[in-house]
Formats: sequence, C-alpha cells, structure tokens
Amino acid sequence: MIDFACDVWAGLFTILGAMRVTLRHLFSHAVTVQYPTVRRTLPLRSLNRHVLTIDLGSGKLKCTACDACAKVCPTRCIAIVGAGKGKERHPVEFVIDHNLCMYCNLCVEACPFDAITMWTGNFEIGAFNRMGLVFDQTALHAEGFYPTPDTPALVASPAPQPAAAQPGA
Amino acid sequence: MSVLEGRFEPGVVTTSLDLIFNWARRNSPWPVTFGLACCAIEMMATGAARFDMDRFGAGVFRPSPRQSDVMIVAGTVTEKMAPRIKTLYEQMADPKWVIAMGACAISGGPFYWDAYHVVKGVDRVIPVDVYVPGCPPRPEALLFGVMKLQEKISQGTIAKRRSMHD
Repeated sequence: MIDFACDVWAGLFTILGAMRVTLRHLFSHAVTVQYPTVRRTLPLRSLNRHVLTIDLGSGKLKCTACDACAKVCPTRCIAIVGAGKGKERHPVEFVIDHNLCMYCNLCVEACPFDAITMWTGNFEIGAFNRMGLVFDQTALHAEGFYPTPDTPALVASPAPQPAAAQPGA
Repeated sequence: MSVLEGRFEPGVVTTSLDLIFNWARRNSPWPVTFGLACCAIEMMATGAARFDMDRFGAGVFRPSPRQSDVMIVAGTVTEKMAPRIKTLYEQMADPKWVIAMGACAISGGPFYWDAYHVVKGVDRVIPVDVYVPGCPPRPEALLFGVMKLQEKISQGTIAKRRSMHD
C-alpha cells in the first residue's frame, strides 16, 4: 500500500517536472528567424556572393585583370578578358559562373589588389535557369564599400561590422 | 506541369480556378525525404526550428514520392544515383517541381571538369525549376529558393497560353 502511494507520488512528481520544462519553453523567446522579414546578422567572414570592389575615390574597379583568381580557382568558374597595359589595365569582361563556384574564398586570397571579396552578406541568388546564375561584370560591380581581408579598419579592430547587404540578385 | 494545364479556353472560370489551385499548391509544396550529400544537412537545418520551412508549408517531408510535390535534389548526383533519382521523379504525382540545391546538383560543381562519376547537373536527368547555388547554400538561401518556387507555382494556369503569333 505504501509502495503504491509512493509510485503515484513519483508519477505525479515526474509529470510536474516535465511540465516545468514545457512551461520554461512556453515563456521563452522562439528561436525561429522569420527569414524574409527578419534577417540574421551574418558573421563578417561568412562567404557569400562575390563582389568586385571599387576604389571609393574614383569609383573604378580595383581589378587589373591579372588572372590570378581565375588561375587559382579549383572549379575554374572565373573568366576574365582584360585590356590596356600597365596601370591602365582593367577587365573588359569578368564572368563568375555561380553554377560551379564552391565558395572556397581562394580567389579572394589570391587577389593581390584586394579587388574581389566574398564578405558581402548577399546569399539571395536563385534562378529559374542556369544562365541566371552566371554573373558578368555589371552584376558583380560593387556600388559602395564592401569589407575585404585587407580593409585597414578590420586589421586595426577585429570587431565584426555588419556587411552591406544588397537586395535581390 | 499538371494534367489540367493548358487544356481550357481562358475565361472567368479558368482564372478563378487558377487562383484556388495556385493558392493551394503554392502553400503546400511538400518535399520528398531525400538527400544525397552534405547539402542535405543544410536542408535538414532549414526544416528544423530556427529556419522552419513549415512557415512556407514546405516542411512536411513525405517519406513517399507519391505523396510529395517538390523534390529538393540536395547534393552530388552520381552516375550511379541518377537512375534512382529519375525513378523517384517519375513516381511523384503530377503537379511536381524540382529544386536543384547546391553547386553539385546544379552543374556538378567541383566535379564538373575532372570527374568521371558525377552527372554534370541534375537537369541532364530530370527537369529543374529552381536553381539554388551555394556550397552548400545557407538555409536562408534554400528558403529564398522555396519562395522563388512559390512564385513559379503561382504563375501556373489551366488555360491555354497565348502563343507568340496570336
């Protein structure tokens, strides 16, 4: 009889314990990120869609069409056509095929002029056909500042800054 | 896409039916429980609590292709797996869509140039509606792909489409 009462008490106590867990989660915040309206702040160094950085003073691309990124790319997804000699050298065509890209960041590390970056925070690239994922120079051209591995502010203070996200693809 | 598509003369009835059909289809694209490689891990993360694909009605992973509408091809499609994927696709009931997730499923990705064992894109085996690039795509990118697919679904109509020469 005593054993039975103890069992009943133990059962009730266990239910209470389980309900305590339920209650705790009932009054805590939901972990779900309501994606299209709310966006997570991505870490600075998260690798996303490429952008060709510009010289903020003149607004020109920093790229000199040296082909270093195209040579180092493991999936060979970069194609560059350059023009001009010496200081005047610039890309005429710069195409990245995002069908092939494996987001390894090697092109950014190979670039001697800091002209390409993947720290853009722009992951929203989806398309209805494969040609919609091939980005040419106009699509890759940066409008403003994007952080790169050589950005002086980042070297001085490693505190993460929110990457400038641009809407759409 | 479906059996009814492109069968009827356009009119009030077809547009109203389109509205209902597309609303229902758009808000319940149930995917097949089906993953091939590391992209599938990211797909599972998308289905879990933080990203919650159920908010788009797409979180009900059906264990049978007969009950599902969307096939998310998540991962490397090898030559050995390709016939199985084709079989799964053919077993799905008719209004059906395919999302190619990740570089491998889109084009073979890192295996595009020098591999003998990978299909160079799942669209060589089955028709693909939405391509989501990434290696793997982050969960938000897959959700973006699902939203693109919803866009595409809501453009479906049972009316005959006008040809270019009308």
